[in-house]
Amino acid sequence: MSAAAPAPAPVWLRPGFHVVGDGAAGVAAIVAALTAGERENRLAILPRHGEPALGAPGSGFAVALETSGTTGPAKAVRHDLARLCGRLRGGAPDDRWLLTYHPCAFAGLQVILTAAQAGATLIAAAPGADVARLAALATAERATHISGTPSFWRGFLMSCPPPYPPLQAATLGGEAADQALLDHLRVAFPAARLRHIYASTEAGALFAVADGREGFPAVWLTQGVEDVELRLAMDGELLVRSPRAMLAAADSGGQRRRRAADDDGWLFTGDLLEIHGDRALFRGRKDGRVNVGGVKVSPEEAESLILAVEGVADALVTAQPNPMTGNLLTATIVPRPNADAERLRQAVREALTALPPAARPRILTFADAIALTPSGKKPRTAP
Amino acid sequence: MSKTDMSADPTQILALIAAELAAIVADKGETLPPLTAGSVFLGGGLPVDSLDLATLLVALERKLGCDPFRRGFRQFITAGELAALYVAELAERG
Repeated sequence: MSAAAPAPAPVWLRPGFHVVGDGAAGVAAIVAALTAGERENRLAILPRHGEPALGAPGSGFAVALETSGTTGPAKAVRHDLARLCGRLRGGAPDDRWLLTYHPCAFAGLQVILTAAQAGATLIAAAPGADVARLAALATAERATHISGTPSFWRGFLMSCPPPYPPLQAATLGGEAADQALLDHLRVAFPAARLRHIYASTEAGALFAVADGREGFPAVWLTQGVEDVELRLAMDGELLVRSPRAMLAAADSGGQRRRRAADDDGWLFTGDLLEIHGDRALFRGRKDGRVNVGGVKVSPEEAESLILAVEGVADALVTAQPNPMTGNLLTATIVPRPNADAERLRQAVREALTALPPAARPRILTFADAIALTPSGKKPRTAP
Repeated sequence: MSKTDMSADPTQILALIAAELAAIVADKGETLPPLTAGSVFLGGGLPVDSLDLATLLVALERKLGCDPFRRGFRQFITAGELAALYVAELAERG
């Protein structure tokens, strides 16, 4: 870095922004990479593991984040920083934001930038801190704003007996927020603005729901909300279209998965809805992936791993609804004749360590057979 | 798997919670210290995370045949509080 006259501070970084907690050094490295990348017109690479880095000279300034997924190597997605910052809600210098996400995840970077833009305080724990540690930090550091997944919030309520920190804002995202949790949060944080945010992988945050009810108003499917149009496909899939979403998708190199978007700019979110009265409620993913504690996992992927274990004749992995993590994967295993059940259990557990913890079936049940549906298929939804 | 026939006795429920959680923790290669009614699941120093608790709730539903969370998440901090939720649910079922 040049030792000449100090460079002007970036627009997105106001004086007064500072970081407390034992994760402060990590956040400082990220801010340094963004600042240097912007100044030198080089890619700021923010990996999940390892130190932030800069791309080659002339690589052009953008922010490279890794997509989170359980299949294959992580892919880097480029984001336009100015566009990211433009979508953030304002804040005040007195705000004290707790960082609950990984700082190099999209949601984590948004929290960091929100605090930076407001010249506010960010409370960051060391990497790998569990929810109990985050709850303790929130209390000790007098957090006023917290954004987290519903699973984080359930863990927070469980780790943190009253009196709770007097939050001004509690935001939920990354998983569908259920009514019971929203009711709990309203009681725990009576003075807080309570919002749950719907986002898609390609487009980022699309809309926020602030009426304390799960799902969103069904009228938005006809009227839209803010600058987002919504539509329901015949099979219940939610489609969205918004100028921001299209720009964001273009930023990410126009990454298109199968049927990710049609030619009119409608984005297929992959999320299924059910209409109940005046409300649209989220009812799972088209691709059968489920959310376990904020992590999208594939039952079929775990099933393939188990089927590859010597001694397994058949296996079925399903997602079971769970009040702690939204869902939990469980497996039914049919052993080959003469297989040693205990050794097989060990072998399956070892095979599953190839997946992140949330993606592993946690309960393994042995059975003589797997009951098929009337059409002869493995039942994909838990009874 | 037959369901354990549980009368709604807090001590028995607590013992079941302790046994199931010990097995879950052992599966990840750790040891669960003795569990009491006052043991705090998260933040109390136990080698237990949300996934372990999620697994515990599935195991308890299978063993006891009832689910105090069938209408949504309900808050509990200690093992005793969790046991009380099952006691109430079993008693309600009659």
